[in-house]
Amino acid sequence: MPDEVIFWVLALVAVAAGVMVFRFDSMARATYALLTSLLCVGGEVLLLGLDYLGVVIVLMMTIEMAIMAVFMVMYMMNPAGLMPMTMVHNKKGAAAICAAVFAVLAAGVLLAPWPSRRGRPSADPTMDLGLSLMGPQMLTMMALGLALFATIVATVVLATRRGRYDRFGDDLKARTPDDAVRGGTGR
Amino acid sequence: MPDAAPLWATVVLPVALAVAAVVAAGFDAMLSGSAERGPAGSVREAGLRALAPLREALRLLVQRPRRTTAADRLLGRLGVVLVPVAAVLAGAVLPWGFRAVSDPSVGIVWFNAMEALAWAAVWLAGWGPNSALSLVGGYRFLAQGLAYELPHMFAITTAALGAESLRVGDVVAAQDGLWFVVWMPAAFVVYLLSALAMSFWGPFEHPVSRDAAGGAAAELAGVDRLVFLGGRWLLLVVTAGFSVPLFLGGGHGPLLPGWAWTLVKTVAVLALLVAGRRALPVLRMERYMEVAWMVLVPLTLLQALFVAVVVLNR
Amino acid sequence: MDLRGALRRTAMTRPAVLAVTLPGATELRLEAEAEVRRRGWPVVDAPAAADLLVVCGDPASDDTPWLDGIERSMPEPALRIVAGESGQLADALDTARRDLIDKAATRRAAEVAEVAHVADVSDEPGGHEHGDHEGHGDGHDHTMGEVAGLPMAERGDDRDELRLDRLHVPIGPASSDWPAGLVLRLTLQGDVVQGVEVDHLPLPPSPRLPFWDEPWLRAAHGDEVSRGSAVRRRCAAHLDSAGRLLAVVGWDDVAARCRRLRDEVLSGASRESIGGDLRRTVRRVERSRPLRWSIAGLGELPADRARAAGVSGPALAADGDAHDRLLKWLHEVERGLEGLDDARPLAPDDRTGPRGRLDGPQPPSRALLDILPELLTGAEFACARIIVASLDPDLDELALAPVSGAAHA
Repeated sequence: MPDEVIFWVLALVAVAAGVMVFRFDSMARATYALLTSLLCVGGEVLLLGLDYLGVVIVLMMTIEMAIMAVFMVMYMMNPAGLMPMTMVHNKKGAAAICAAVFAVLAAGVLLAPWPSRRGRPSADPTMDLGLSLMGPQMLTMMALGLALFATIVATVVLATRRGRYDRFGDDLKARTPDDAVRGGTGR
Repeated sequence: MPDAAPLWATVVLPVALAVAAVVAAGFDAMLSGSAERGPAGSVREAGLRALAPLREALRLLVQRPRRTTAADRLLGRLGVVLVPVAAVLAGAVLPWGFRAVSDPSVGIVWFNAMEALAWAAVWLAGWGPNSALSLVGGYRFLAQGLAYELPHMFAITTAALGAESLRVGDVVAAQDGLWFVVWMPAAFVVYLLSALAMSFWGPFEHPVSRDAAGGAAAELAGVDRLVFLGGRWLLLVVTAGFSVPLFLGGGHGPLLPGWAWTLVKTVAVLALLVAGRRALPVLRMERYMEVAWMVLVPLTLLQALFVAVVVLNR
Repeated sequence: MDLRGALRRTAMTRPAVLAVTLPGATELRLEAEAEVRRRGWPVVDAPAAADLLVVCGDPASDDTPWLDGIERSMPEPALRIVAGESGQLADALDTARRDLIDKAATRRAAEVAEVAHVADVSDEPGGHEHGDHEGHGDGHDHTMGEVAGLPMAERGDDRDELRLDRLHVPIGPASSDWPAGLVLRLTLQGDVVQGVEVDHLPLPPSPRLPFWDEPWLRAAHGDEVSRGSAVRRRCAAHLDSAGRLLAVVGWDDVAARCRRLRDEVLSGASRESIGGDLRRTVRRVERSRPLRWSIAGLGELPADRARAAGVSGPALAADGDAHDRLLKWLHEVERGLEGLDDARPLAPDDRTGPRGRLDGPQPPSRALLDILPELLTGAEFACARIIVASLDPDLDELALAPVSGAAHA
């Protein structure tokens, strides 16, 4: 019974906070409304007994939203979001897409033939979930992870305007790099 | 091995943390006092200096809160309150001897998640008042977070790796005999650095430092200021205290009972941090970031590799 | 019985002090710092944290609006006192404390706080909340209009050629560890300084000589001044500057020691009594690798550039960055230790004050102010504060020569 109450409370807060993302007129509030929504989702996952996944969602989402705030500050340094702005663009198209996605997901939930429980719940659902998701394809998953990480690094390298020739001179012989701000290792 | 603590521990925890914070702040005030006004002449004088944090708290309680123009009070308040709340929630997995208020199977990740809330908290507190300097302080903390968080995660992962468990109780149990600090010294040092950094205190107080008129705390007055800066001390106590179960063997030790050993070790770590602070200026992130990513990340990765190899061959 | 009242009174027995120094009041500032320290009252660096605003110096009528602004942005119970003359400070502080205790005790409970202004310590004459930008005759055009009476940020290219918001943030004159009277109008992108305009509070003509240069100027006027007193003044000036820089860098412990030593040097402590302490402090700063790591490379000022800008004194001799200038000060202090009690008269043609030659075409601090824009542009906010503190111009000197108004970058 308490589990059900918690489930519904978290679910309602998650949805309400999600709606508020588009209702607030300040980017800071929108960001943290989104964080609230995601923390509630983390709570739901905890409720399913997936402790590790739930806590990791809380950890990752908090850091992610905080970093999103950095970019917000970069592009809009008006403290407290003085200039009200709308979070909604292309209203009709967005509404259509949202409705369609919601319909598809809801249909999936209602129409899928969910299995009924056989046997007892496992002691470590996180382990089981991981094994059933990617047990036979562990090598593929590891390779995929590496590829994703390499992509991130490569993208950053490509996006950087200044390369090593800018920093260390054409013959790469400068002892200290020519940077706008000096770093801490003296290279 | 660890049992669940009784329910009253939940109530005692914030109080115990607050008492520890006041004692640590008093010790800090005593050291600052002797730098500013010379060594205390008498025990009475030293005592008066050590009482400074309590006096300061009372003073802030009497101050009337204030607002700034066009402030985002909801977010600002949230940020202020979140600092002590995150500290206490993180403290829930802190074992006192061999018992914690709660010892979930993913206690270490829980601790990390709660301290990540401080990222959001400090930024929100800096954003709320609508003041340039306080916002500068707020995002100084985000830069700090980016610098310390990766080495920090690797450091605590190393301890979990050594115990082959994310449960804090198991980590303590694995140190019956050999403390982790002995064969994970790099991880321990990095953990202490990041403990200071995440409680934005001492050499890492740049987000609230004097050059930006108090940074994220620049516009906080009265109770707001008390909760924010008091919460910072709570964070320091909790993060310093967590190094005991992670690296210093938790309640393990000869003669004394477990809780006493925890207390002794926590006090030692706190005293080391508070006294060590005197030797260092504030570390600015534009310098520390490079050290963190170019030196500390590889260092902690090597440490983790070493521990992993040892564990695999055990 | 009246526990709340008693607690309120106890709370204000040690009020938190925000000290603001006006140009020409260096001596009063030192007195106030020493007195507040002796009482053990907390010293704070933002109006929000303060109970008591101590204004050192005689405020001119131009100063009252920004001082009012600071007082308004302090949380109740708040009080301002003016320390206009030396020797009266202790009484003034006693009275202020009594008044604060009364104010705190009689406060009506649960009163709603009034809306305060946006109060950076940078509240300054004609500050942004007064919307009085024409007065400076420069290019602050806030094209995006205002919200809640506050100007919006404008945009400009940053150093990576991204078009980002720019904020105009004035720093000073009420910042802590800041040259008295200096106002820097910064254009900030994030916390990177993109533009600097050097300005200062009006400098009223004063019969008083600049405190730090006094012995040399008096000797030049033909007064009898002992070499020892000149050396003392120079050592104290350098210890003051070093303390300020170390406080900005965030090494409070050593900063406090420097300030204590400064007061001891000024109060006539003998060489034997402070020598050991002073040498230990100098060694400690010299040997600190974290300090070197932290501030090396900030505000690089090679000797040829310094000479071209008209800089003389330690900033020229240091021939390097903020860390070199700090060590230069401390080494001069250590050297001066020998001559603290030299009773021979100061030669009237010795005109080398703590900040440079006093017989040049302009006071030494003028040159230090003039090179600020080129050193600060492109620096981050924290670095900019360190660079200013490592040069530590003394605005009292500007009143010496007929230089007035703002130097625009």
